[in-house]
Amino acid sequence: MSYPAPLQEIIELSEHLPDPEKREVLISYAESAAQYEPTEGETFDLEDIRKDEECTDTVGIFLNVDDQGRASYKVELGAKVQTLTRAMTSILCRGLEGATLEEILQVPADFVPRIVGAELVRLRSQTVYYVLTRIKGAAKVQLNRLRAAS
Amino acid sequence: MSDDKFSAYANPDALVSTQWVEDHLKDDSIRIVESNEDLLLYDTGHVPGAVHIDWRRDLNDQTVRDYVGTAGFKELCSRNGITPETTVVFYGDKSNWWSCYAFWVFQLFGHTNAKVMDGGRDLWVSEGRPTDKIVPDLAATDYPEPASRDDIGIRAFHADTMAHLKAGLPMVDVRSPGEYKGEVTHMPEYPQEGVLRGGHIPGAKSCPWSTAANDDGTFKTADELRAIYTEGLGLGNADNIVAYCRIGERSSHTWFVLKYLLGYKTVRNYDGSWVEWGNMVGNPIEKDC
Repeated sequence: MSYPAPLQEIIELSEHLPDPEKREVLISYAESAAQYEPTEGETFDLEDIRKDEECTDTVGIFLNVDDQGRASYKVELGAKVQTLTRAMTSILCRGLEGATLEEILQVPADFVPRIVGAELVRLRSQTVYYVLTRIKGAAKVQLNRLRAAS
Repeated sequence: MSDDKFSAYANPDALVSTQWVEDHLKDDSIRIVESNEDLLLYDTGHVPGAVHIDWRRDLNDQTVRDYVGTAGFKELCSRNGITPETTVVFYGDKSNWWSCYAFWVFQLFGHTNAKVMDGGRDLWVSEGRPTDKIVPDLAATDYPEPASRDDIGIRAFHADTMAHLKAGLPMVDVRSPGEYKGEVTHMPEYPQEGVLRGGHIPGAKSCPWSTAANDDGTFKTADELRAIYTEGLGLGNADNIVAYCRIGERSSHTWFVLKYLLGYKTVRNYDGSWVEWGNMVGNPIEKDC
């Protein structure tokens, strides 16, 4: 399975970095998560805002699909969400930009340790996978809607 | 307020205020240590001069489910510019779960010159106190290797806990009520962490760690803590107490409360906790009590 090109690029840039530089890159991604929050008045094809029992705070997933079938995500994160999850949010919003819903549903989760490093993927940081799960969930719902409409 | 509050604790010196820490930022005899659950939180900004001690990377052995040995502790302290005379002040996220855990591990090695910052990281930040991203460039020290790690006085293993159960001695389950009752097998607001069964150790009383904390992450007053543990749970100074949670971090918080703030003499943290007890073949559990 190949990844969407922007995500592939992030993986290739990150996976060979030594751990300290990986951390710096992740912090940078985490700090840029705010730029992927929806702005006032912005509208979406799908909005999925909820606080799941297994997550520390509310996470909102906002999806638009253009007439070429290309997806674009915005994500709103509550204040208690972990830094690593913020970083992964930025990575996914950037890395999946322009991919089709079918491509997004097929993205395997094995890229996470390649970007984050095995040391950080461990007990109490498993929410790093959470945003991907939510993004895929939104893609599936929207794909079903589009198929039903056609 | 803090002076009055702290002086009522059994060991007032074990706790310091955020103001005290800010007043001692330039004090070379003090090493401020941040310990978090959020692995990257320190990197986003921390108390100026603070070092980062990570519970998994720095305190846990990497191949055995155990803590570092005496050589590992020597290396950790030396790397962070700590000597036996250094006052180590711990703080962190999650109302100080992991800083209490780190404090507890330091006690296993006899580094008694240690304190916890009341309110932890969240209070420091909410009060608008300074933070920076500079990782201090500290001259390494030569911390003497401790003669041993004291796994007897403040730590309970599975066998100790089983003996405790059979003897009917007091045990405190500090997890959430749902975990205690066996209604859920994950912590509230966390994913599943490999627990196979829900419930609690037979005979354990439920008293969630959070009952000892205020909303701002500070510890409750001595009177409030006595109402919870002494009057509510019936625990006394002479009791032999074991506290547990899921992997030992929430129970470190309660251990700190019982041992240092209330001054109970014999309090042990069962760090194997529910992940070990609930999953072990042959272990009895109770539900729905």
